[in-house]
Amino acid sequence: MSRAVAGVAALVALVGGCRRDDAAVTLWHAYTKDERAALEAQAEAWNQDHPEQRVELVAMPYDGFGDKLTSAIPNGNGPDLFIYSQDRLGDWTAAGLLEPIEFWIDDATAGRFTAEALAGLAYHGSLWGLPVAVKSLALFVRTDLVSTPPTTTDALVAMAPTLRARGVYPLAYPVDDLYAHAPWLHGFGGAAMDGDTPTIATAPAVAAAAFARELVAREVVPRDVDGALTATLFAEGKAAMAMSGPWFVADIPAGVPYVITTLPVVSATGRPAAPYLGAEGILMSARAGDKDAAIAVALAFTTDAAARRRAERAHQVVPNPGAYVGDAGRDANLAAFRRQLDDTVAMPVSPAMRAVWTPYKNALGQIVTGAATPAAALERAARDIATYARTAGGS
Amino acid sequence: MSARRPRLAVALGVHVGLAAATLAALYPVMLVVKKAFEPGRQFALSASPVPHHLTLDHFRDLLGARGSHGELAFLHHTLASLIVAIATTVIGIALSCTAAYALSRFRFPGRKAALTSFLVVQMFPASLLMIPLYVLLHALGLLNSLTGLILVYSTTAIPFCVWTLKGYFDSLPRELFEAARVDGAGPLRIFWTIVLPLARPGIAVTGLFSFMTAWNEYILASTFLTDEGKYTLPVMLKSSVGQFSADWGLFAAGALITSLPVMALFYVLQKYLVGGLTAGAVKG
Amino acid sequence: MSRVDLRRALRDVAVIGALLSVGVLAVFVRARNLDATAASVRHARAAAIAVAAGDAPVVATAAAGVVGPPRQSPRHDFLRRRTVMTATGPRPLGGPTAPAVDKLLYDAAGRFDRDGAFAGLLSDGTGRAVAAVATPRGPAIAITAAAEPRAPLPWLAVLGLIGVTLVVAGAGASLGGRARGVGVGLGLAAWALPATAWGGWPLGLAVAAVAAAAGWAHAVGATDRVGASVRAHRVALSFLGPAGVAMIVLVVVPFAVGLALGFYDHHHGTWTFVGLDNFRRILSGDGHGLSDPLNFWFILGVTLAWTFVNVVLHVGIGTLLALALRQRWLKAKGLWRVLLIVPWAVPNYITALIWKGMFAGEYGAVNSILAGLGLDRVSWFSSWATAFSANVTTNTWLGFPFMMVVALGALESIPRELEEAAEVDGATAWQRFREITLPHLRPALGPAIVLGSIWTFNMFNVIELVSGGKPGGSTDILVTDAYRWAFERGEQYGMAAALGTLIFLLLLGWTLIGRALTRGDEEARP
Repeated sequence: MSRAVAGVAALVALVGGCRRDDAAVTLWHAYTKDERAALEAQAEAWNQDHPEQRVELVAMPYDGFGDKLTSAIPNGNGPDLFIYSQDRLGDWTAAGLLEPIEFWIDDATAGRFTAEALAGLAYHGSLWGLPVAVKSLALFVRTDLVSTPPTTTDALVAMAPTLRARGVYPLAYPVDDLYAHAPWLHGFGGAAMDGDTPTIATAPAVAAAAFARELVAREVVPRDVDGALTATLFAEGKAAMAMSGPWFVADIPAGVPYVITTLPVVSATGRPAAPYLGAEGILMSARAGDKDAAIAVALAFTTDAAARRRAERAHQVVPNPGAYVGDAGRDANLAAFRRQLDDTVAMPVSPAMRAVWTPYKNALGQIVTGAATPAAALERAARDIATYARTAGGS
Repeated sequence: MSARRPRLAVALGVHVGLAAATLAALYPVMLVVKKAFEPGRQFALSASPVPHHLTLDHFRDLLGARGSHGELAFLHHTLASLIVAIATTVIGIALSCTAAYALSRFRFPGRKAALTSFLVVQMFPASLLMIPLYVLLHALGLLNSLTGLILVYSTTAIPFCVWTLKGYFDSLPRELFEAARVDGAGPLRIFWTIVLPLARPGIAVTGLFSFMTAWNEYILASTFLTDEGKYTLPVMLKSSVGQFSADWGLFAAGALITSLPVMALFYVLQKYLVGGLTAGAVKG
Repeated sequence: MSRVDLRRALRDVAVIGALLSVGVLAVFVRARNLDATAASVRHARAAAIAVAAGDAPVVATAAAGVVGPPRQSPRHDFLRRRTVMTATGPRPLGGPTAPAVDKLLYDAAGRFDRDGAFAGLLSDGTGRAVAAVATPRGPAIAITAAAEPRAPLPWLAVLGLIGVTLVVAGAGASLGGRARGVGVGLGLAAWALPATAWGGWPLGLAVAAVAAAAGWAHAVGATDRVGASVRAHRVALSFLGPAGVAMIVLVVVPFAVGLALGFYDHHHGTWTFVGLDNFRRILSGDGHGLSDPLNFWFILGVTLAWTFVNVVLHVGIGTLLALALRQRWLKAKGLWRVLLIVPWAVPNYITALIWKGMFAGEYGAVNSILAGLGLDRVSWFSSWATAFSANVTTNTWLGFPFMMVVALGALESIPRELEEAAEVDGATAWQRFREITLPHLRPALGPAIVLGSIWTFNMFNVIELVSGGKPGGSTDILVTDAYRWAFERGEQYGMAAALGTLIFLLLLGWTLIGRALTRGDEEARP
C-alpha cells in the first residue's frame, strides 16, 4: 500500500507541480465563448510578435472571480493583469491591490477611448485601467410578439392585457436586482450613491420601487426571475421583451427573431430610463512582476485595431470610437447599445456601494411581492447598509 | 411484521409507500436525464420527465470543448477530479485506518483526548476554515496545485473515517488478536494480515465517503485553484450555470457524467454500506 | 555518576535545546531583516537630503532628483505629467515607453503630495528604499540602488552555544545529585544570551524561564516519566502519528487561527484586535429586532428549526423505508434499495441546483405539477415559510437515504428467532416494534442522529444554492450568514470567524448532550 501511496504522490506532484512560465505576463479574465475566443486570438497574435515576452491567459469562472483576486493578489499569487469592471475599484485601491497607471498614459493614448469609459476606470485622482468594453442594459424585443417596441413606460404597461391573454409577459428582468432596477431608479431621478454616501430611502427611490411593484402587480413582468430564467422566458416566447446586456445575445437560440433597442422613457418624469454603465478594463496588480511588460500588453490589447477585432468577433461594445468601421460599424446590435450609452449612469465606484447590493435586493424582493411598502422596505435597507458598512465602508 | 403471508392492506400500503418514495427519489434525476438529452440551453419549463426531442448535442459540446491550450477541457477536468478523489481516498484511508486501529486496540494516555478532538474539529464550519487554509497553503507553496487540495480533502475526511473505522475495529472479535499475538505476530503484522482484511466493509464505506468528499467539493477548489486546466469537475460544472448566463443542457450532461462514477461505486459497495456504517454502534 | 544520568541529561537538553534554537534563530532572522530595512531607509533619506541640498548622494541610487508639480491633461484631471530635475538635467516623467524607475519617482512624488515627507521600503519586494524631503521646487526624491546586504546566519555562535549547553549539562550529570537539574537548566540558559541580544530582554527572560522549568522537570524526573510513557506506547503512537500530524497541520492550526480571528476586526487588509467586540455585536443583536435576519438570535432560531425538522424527517422517512424494506415477503429488495439510495449518490451541489431549478419562479417543475393538480402556483422564494419548505424538501431528499441505510444495518442485527418468538406469543405489531425493534435501532441511530444533526447544522450548499437566504436573508442559517459576513458584507472576516466560534461551541454542547443521551458506546464496551 505504501508503494501505491508513493506512486500516487509522484503522479500528483507531476500534475500539481508544473509551474507556469515566470517570465510571462499573466492575464486573468472571466470571459467565455466568443469574448474568450477573441481575447485568445489577441494573445496568440501578441505571442507570435513577442516570443520573449509572452502573455499567458487564465480563464476563471465569473462567480467568485472578484473574491479570488482579493485574496490572491496580496499573497503574491495573483495575475499581472486582469479584466474586471470598475465596481470594485474603491475596495481594491483602498486595499492597495491595484497599480495606478496614469504615468504611462499620454493624451494620445487616452484619446483612443470615449471620455466616459476612461473616466469610469479613474478613482481618487488616479487611473487604474484601460477600458476594453462598456456594458449596459438595453431592451431586447421579440419581433414576432411585439411589432412596435414601447418608447414610454405607459406604453409598456399598456401592453400587459393583450399579451397576458396569450400567456405572455410583456417584459422579463430580475425585478429584485438593483443592477436591473437601476434604469427605473435613475429614470425617476434617484441614485443609489452620492459620492461615498448611500442614498437609499429617497423620494425618487420610493417612487421607482413603487413602479417596480406596479409592474409586477399588473403582470407586466413576472415576479421571481433571475438572469438565467429571463433568458429562458425570452427564448421560449413566454416573455416578449427582456431587459439585459450584451452577454444576453449568446443566450438567444437561433431562430428567435429579435431586435435591440433603447429603454423606454419613464412616463411619470419624462426622463429616459438610464441603466448603469459598467466599464470593463484591463487592470494591473500592484504586485505585477514586470510592470513595463504588463503595460505594453495592456496598451497593445486596447488599440483601435484590437478593439475592432473584438467588436467583430465577440460583439463587444468597445469604448474606442475609432473601432467602429467595417463590420463593427454596421452591426445593428452594437449600434443599439451605443445609442443606449447616451442615457446611462456611471456605475458607482465607492467601496460603500459593495454594502448596498444585498440589502437593496432584499428590499426590492419584499416590495414587489407586496410584503412591505416601498418606503418601509427601503428604510430598513438603509439601516442594514449602515450595519454592514460600519467597519467595511468607514474610509 | 414478518408474517409469511401479509395482510393485503399491509402489502398494498408498503408497496404504495415504496413506490411513492422511489418516484420522489428518482424524479429530479429523471429531469436531469431529460435535460441532458433535450436540445436547448434552458431548463425546461415543464414537469414532464420525458424529452420531446432527443439529441446528443450537449454531450458533444461538453466532451468536445477545448481549453486555452487546445486540450479537451472536460477530459482534463475529469482527470484532475479523478486524481484528487483517488489520492484523497488512498491517503485518507491509509491515515484513518492506522489511527483508528491505534484508538481501537491500544490504551494510552491522551487517547480520550485524541478521540474527542477527532470528533470536535469537524464542528467548525469548513467554509470558514477557508481563509486560514488559504494562508497556510500559500505558505506551503501548495496553492493552485492538486496536491494542496488532496491534503486538505483527506484531512477533512479523516475524522468521520476514523470514527466509523474505530467502531468497526471495535466490533472485531478480540480472541483473534489474542490468538495472533500468541502465535508471535507483531502489531504491524496483525494490522496488515488480520485487521485490514476483516475490516473490508468498513474500509469500503469510509473509502466511498472520502471519495465523495473530494469528488463533490467546489467551494475550496474554486478558491484554491486558479489555472483553469486544474479545475475539478464541480468547479467547472458550477460555473456553467452562473447567475447571469446558464447553460442547463451542458450542466445536465456534465451532472450525469459526474454522478455516474459515484452511483456505480454505491451500486458495487451497497452490500457493505448497510453493515459498514453501523457495525460498531450495533454491537455495543 | 552514571552513564544513565548522562544519557538522560543529554536527551533532555537535546530535545528542549533543539526547540529553543529554532526559536532563537527565527528571532535572529527577524532582527537582521529589520536592521537591513532600517539601513536601507536611512540611506534613502540621506540621499534625498543630499539631493535637496544640491549635492551628489553619498550612497548608490537607482534614481534621484527633484520632481516638479503635476500638470493636468486638459481632457482628464486624473492624467498628470511631471518633470524631474536630475544631475544630468530635466527629464519628463511618464509616457507609454518611459523607464521603470521613473514610475517609482512619479509615484513617490504623488505620495509626497498626499502625505508629505516620508521614507520607507518600496512595496515591490526588492528591498530597496525610497525617501522624499521637501524643497521649494518640489520634493527631492531618492531611491536606493539595491537592498542592503543581510548579515549571514551566525553558525559559529550557534555551534558554540550547542557545545556550551552539552558540556554544562554533562558536567552537572557527572556530578550527580542536585547538580543534574542545575546542569540542564544552566546549559539551556545559555540560549538566553543570544535571545536577549536579538529579541530584547523579555525574550531573554522567557528563554531563561523555559531553561529553569526544564532543569526542574529534569530534577524531579518529569521528563523521564514522559519519555518512559512515549516508549511504552510507541506502537500505538506510531500508528496514530501520521493522521495526528496531518490533522494538527491542516485542521487544528487553521481551526486555532479561525478561533483567533474572531477577536479581530478586518478592514481593507488590516487586522485590528477588538477583543470581544465581535461577540458583543453578535450576541446583543446589534440593535436589530428579534424578527430581523441580521439579529443572531433570529438566525439561530431558523438554524435550530432547520436542523430539527430535517433530522426528524430524515430519521422518520429513513426508518419507515427501512422497516418496509425489511418485510420478508417483499420482492426485489435489492432493486428497491438501490433506487432509494440514488439521492445520496448524486453530488449535493448538483441536487441543490436541480431543486432550485424545480422551484424556480412560475415555471419550475414543482409549480407545473401544482398547476396540473389544479392548485395555485406558489412563488417559493418570496415568503419565509415557502422558501424554508423548499430548502427542507431539498435537504430531506438528499439526506433520508443515509438514515435509511443506518436503520437497515441496525434492523439486520435483530435475531429472526426473537421476532418469531414474539409473534408466536401473540405480541401486537406495536408491542413488537417497541420491545424488539426500537431497542435495536437506538444504539445505531443515536450516533447517526448526532452526526446527521451536525451535518445539517452546517449544510452550506443547500441553503446557499436553493434559497440563497431569500427572502431577505431570513432563510439563512448560521454558516451561510457567517459566509455572508466574510464575503458579501465588506470582508468582515472577524465577524465571520466569531460566528464560526459560536457555531463550534453550540455543536460542542450538542454533542456532549447527545453523547450523554445515547450514553457512550465507548464506556459500555470492555
